[in-house]
Formats: sequence, structure tokens, C-alpha cells
Amino acid sequence: MTVPGHRGGRGLIVETLAASGAYLAAVTIVFTFLMPVQNLFFPEYPSRASLLFLPHGVRILTAWLLGPRAIVALLPGVALLFLYVAGWNTFAPTRLAGIAVVVCAAPLIFEALKRLGADIYPHPGRTPCWICVMGVGAVTSLVSAGLLNLLFGNGFEDWLALFIGDVFGLFFLMLGLLFVFRWLDRRRT
Amino acid sequence: MTDLPKLAELRKLLQSMERALGLEQLSPVERDIYYAASELSRQDAQVRTLVLIEHELLSGVSRPTFFRALKSLVNKGYLAQSASANRGRYVVNDPAS
Repeated sequence: MTVPGHRGGRGLIVETLAASGAYLAAVTIVFTFLMPVQNLFFPEYPSRASLLFLPHGVRILTAWLLGPRAIVALLPGVALLFLYVAGWNTFAPTRLAGIAVVVCAAPLIFEALKRLGADIYPHPGRTPCWICVMGVGAVTSLVSAGLLNLLFGNGFEDWLALFIGDVFGLFFLMLGLLFVFRWLDRRRT
Repeated sequence: MTDLPKLAELRKLLQSMERALGLEQLSPVERDIYYAASELSRQDAQVRTLVLIEHELLSGVSRPTFFRALKSLVNKGYLAQSASANRGRYVVNDPAS
């Protein structure tokens, strides 16, 4: 598997529905359930960023599974989130650049690592390196949070909050999926 | 992303995390087989199925249950089929690796 998820047009539609759907579901969980809890425990916390940003996990896992196709698969979900948050301001150049950063950062880092000889993508017969995926998640967050802060003029506090939220989000999404699969297995048997 | 190979890859990733964090759950039979295989592997790195099934820890286990659990342990990475010998020999893996 040299290019993960290298399939036809129908495959891309299914991947897009699954990835963007998962992204929007993760966003809904964050803003409906997790943010109110965060505000309850850290009412004085000045940043509006989530400290458990599950959508970052969706971005990383999608990029790990699909490679560059993740850019297309995630674009509708990310664009819809920007539209929901910013309305017509989404089409301002800084917001469009923000969408590009959010969508492209992870696939580009996976690709760059592959070209540098550290191919983390899934391969048949090879045990995946979850710590490497976590590492890519952290690096992607450093890069994308930095670029988003540059674009939107936020401070160090927001950058730190984005980074913590992204790394925790990836870890707890993977942990959550692990228990979901375990529960599904138990139901099947 | 929804097709089987992608889901299988995702499950493999999560299983490697599960093992590293010590969260993997083994059934009682799987645990007994793993303990028995670990003990036998101290005498010989390659554990033979015929010797393993005779181990006292597994005396009350039926053959179908034994082979099901053995297959599951291989899938989970606790045991691996020996590459150098013919079938029926297994190598014990460290679950944390």
C-alpha cells in the first residue's frame, strides 16, 4: 500500500462522507458535552479553545488511513464548521487560509515523513506504531496551531490551549474508539 | 475509510495502543495458554502445540476452545507462528513490545 486509500471516485465519496461525518460528530460532542464541562471546571480559563479537541484526532486518523486523499475527505466537514462559526466571513482570505491549514497539515506531515524515510502509514503485515501517530498528531498541532495563531492574531495562551486540546483530543479519541470496538465485539459474541 | 481494510488497520493501531497501555483483556483460557506457553518457552524458545495442549493449566480445556484461543492469541500478537519450523510451533512475544 504505497498510497493509502488509492481508490476510485465512489471510494472517495464514501471516504468523504465518513471522514467529514466523523469530524462533524466529534465537533458536536466537543461543543455539546465537553465544553460545558470544561467551563464548569475551569470557569476562569480565558481561552475559548477546547482542552479535549476530538476533531484533531479525526484529522490525524483520517490522514493516517487515507494519506493525501484526507484533504478532500475532510474538506466539507471543516468548511461546514467554519461556516457555522464564522458565517459568510468564512470566505475572507484569512479564514480560507485557516481551512487550508486545518485540512492539509496532517497529510502533508505524513507525506513529508514518508519522503524522509519514516513511513508511518498502515502496511499489511506490519504492526502500526501508535506512538508515531501520536507524535505526528503533536507535530501537526504545533504547526497548525502556530499558523492559525499567526492568521487570527491570537496569543501564546491560545496556542498552548490548542496544542493541549489537540494532543488530548487525539489520545482520548483513540482510547474511546478502543472501548467502542471492544463493546461492539462483546455484543457480537 | 469505511471499508474493511481501513477498519482493520484502525483496529490494529488501537490494539497496539491497547497492548502498550496494558489494557488488553484476555479470556481465562487465553491467559492460561499464554502462561503455559511462557513457562514452556523457558526450556525451548519454540513451543509445540502438542506439548502446550498437554500442559496442566489447560487440562480442562476442550480442543476446539484451545485452538480458538490459540488463534486469538496469535491475532493479538501474544504468540507468533515460528518462521523457522513447520506448523504447530509458536514463539512467545512480549505483549508490551
